[in-house]
Amino acid sequence: MSRQAPLVIDNGTGYTKMGFAGNSEPSFVFPTVIATHQTAGAGGGGRAPPPVAGKPSHLASKRGIEDLDFYIGDEAVVNSKTYDLHYPIKHGQIENWDHMERFWEQSIFKYLRAEPEDHYVLLTEPPLNPPENRENTAEIMFESFNVQGLYIAVQAVLALAASWTSSKVAERTLTGVVIDSGDGVTHTIPVAEGYVIGSSIKHVPIAGRDITSFVQQLLRDRGDSASIPPEDSMRVAEKIKEDYTYVCQDIVKEFKKYDADPYKYFARFSGEHSVTGRKYDIDVGYERFLAPEIFFNPEIYSSDFLTPLPEVVDTVIQTSPIDVRRGLYKNIVLSGGSTMFKDFGKRLQRDVKNIVDGRIAGSETRSGSLMKSSGVEVNVISHKRQRYAVWYGGSLMASTPEFFNVSHSRVDYEEYGPSLVRRFSVFGSSS
Amino acid sequence: MPAYHSSYNDDPSVRQVGNTAILPISTKVRGPAPIASDPSQPDIIEEALDLFRANCLFRNFEIKGPADRLLIYLILFISECLTKLAPTPGRPSPGYQEATKVLQTLAVDSFALPGDAGFPLNSLYHAPGSRPDADALRSYLTQTRTELALRLADRLYPPEQTMGPDGQPTGQTGARAAKPSKWWMSFQKRRFMGRSLGSA
Repeated sequence: MSRQAPLVIDNGTGYTKMGFAGNSEPSFVFPTVIATHQTAGAGGGGRAPPPVAGKPSHLASKRGIEDLDFYIGDEAVVNSKTYDLHYPIKHGQIENWDHMERFWEQSIFKYLRAEPEDHYVLLTEPPLNPPENRENTAEIMFESFNVQGLYIAVQAVLALAASWTSSKVAERTLTGVVIDSGDGVTHTIPVAEGYVIGSSIKHVPIAGRDITSFVQQLLRDRGDSASIPPEDSMRVAEKIKEDYTYVCQDIVKEFKKYDADPYKYFARFSGEHSVTGRKYDIDVGYERFLAPEIFFNPEIYSSDFLTPLPEVVDTVIQTSPIDVRRGLYKNIVLSGGSTMFKDFGKRLQRDVKNIVDGRIAGSETRSGSLMKSSGVEVNVISHKRQRYAVWYGGSLMASTPEFFNVSHSRVDYEEYGPSLVRRFSVFGSSS
Repeated sequence: MPAYHSSYNDDPSVRQVGNTAILPISTKVRGPAPIASDPSQPDIIEEALDLFRANCLFRNFEIKGPADRLLIYLILFISECLTKLAPTPGRPSPGYQEATKVLQTLAVDSFALPGDAGFPLNSLYHAPGSRPDADALRSYLTQTRTELALRLADRLYPPEQTMGPDGQPTGQTGARAAKPSKWWMSFQKRRFMGRSLGSA
């Protein structure tokens, strides 16, 4: 029996990435947002108000139909004036199951245009997702959509799998630290042989949105933002962040480079007013390397979070079990859009290596220079699929024949019920 | 990678007043400062100008030696200079000539020494031990401020490169810019260590 390609759906707090297994990029990427009419979204017992007498009652105001009247993704954003926007996922976890179910419904039928009963589905979950959430998910997937089979994978593990595409990776292991930086938060998640070390996970409250607002702040300080229409300010900062920035090795040296050869380094950004179409130019300067610098020197941007990312990574590894630390240092994997800066991996590797080497040198001296360390290998892996690493890892895993053996099938679900998904098997580490 | 430190911290031969280093500078301004042995080598003023933009971004700074104290002082003085040159409503930024004059006046204007009531960083600086020491420090700082103001003006008003017909720089330099460089002025609002010399 030939099988249809499994559906791979990665529902993130900000964006949902979905497509079919075996592809190298998701078919759809849109905001995880659903637009409903207020009455339809008010929990389970929400009822439309009785139609006003005398007014011709149209179809949508009749009870029982209004819950079909919703949009998801970009369409939801477009309709935000007449509908209410809801974000069913908060901090990576599903908060509103009613909205999420409807979100999935449109994702599968309207966007992927797939028949769920013919497909296996791979969903993703954040680390430390409570088992109850997995059960709810299974219930919806099997009972509402009648899927053939379901596998719920941890995002960090998929990101590790995605890094196998890099030429720097010699062996396919599921041990490593995943640095996942999206728009809202940056996570550093240690994974040992496919299992997340939950107690050592650390979050850094600096991510894409902060970089954008730091760029805005620099433009404002310089007085260049005067030529940008205020309503475009955010968009322009985002564009500058995406197109011009890179990570430097040393700020002072970088300032000197700009002094020595201004024409090589200062850039110009041309924009167009989104409403009037008026053209404007702005200079792009130090923000090119200062913007991503806030990962390495959070002090220059925020006053309450001061730990540099390399230090966080080092702490995460140092708090993990001692027998996996070497493996973790050797495999630091980047994932998510905010790790895409040029030379980000290089700088991170250098800084982590410095911390590690410093510590080793320290303990060598404390031993009276009697002991010599063989050194610890530090590797930061960047690869081409970084932006949608989690989704890509899912696509990779779901296209292996093994996937169908480790997934929970419909037959099993009917036999055991939702508690089935409390147990899950890791796979891919041995292949 | 925290804020940058002075490279002169480890020099034990340097004279100190209070706990601030009196480092040699290369200058034509008259004063008591030791003259740098090799004028082609960067001195503490050059260092302050180089580190200003980077260190300005930081709010925390760990003092590692007496030279760091001088560095902090000079960086704060640069901030003060920029504030002086910033355009205010009704008064645009001055040109190069005007700016040099303004900065010179500011440099020799009366200022607070470590230990004085108006000095912003008294918790970090020791007051000079005696009256002659205080006078020596004052005249040393005045001289350094004057030299710094000269060099800062040079950097703030870089000669504009003349453009060839193809829009590329020809490598020749033309007249000085009419306004202070915005790449420097943008750091005016940033407060190194959250302090300033003027009205703290």
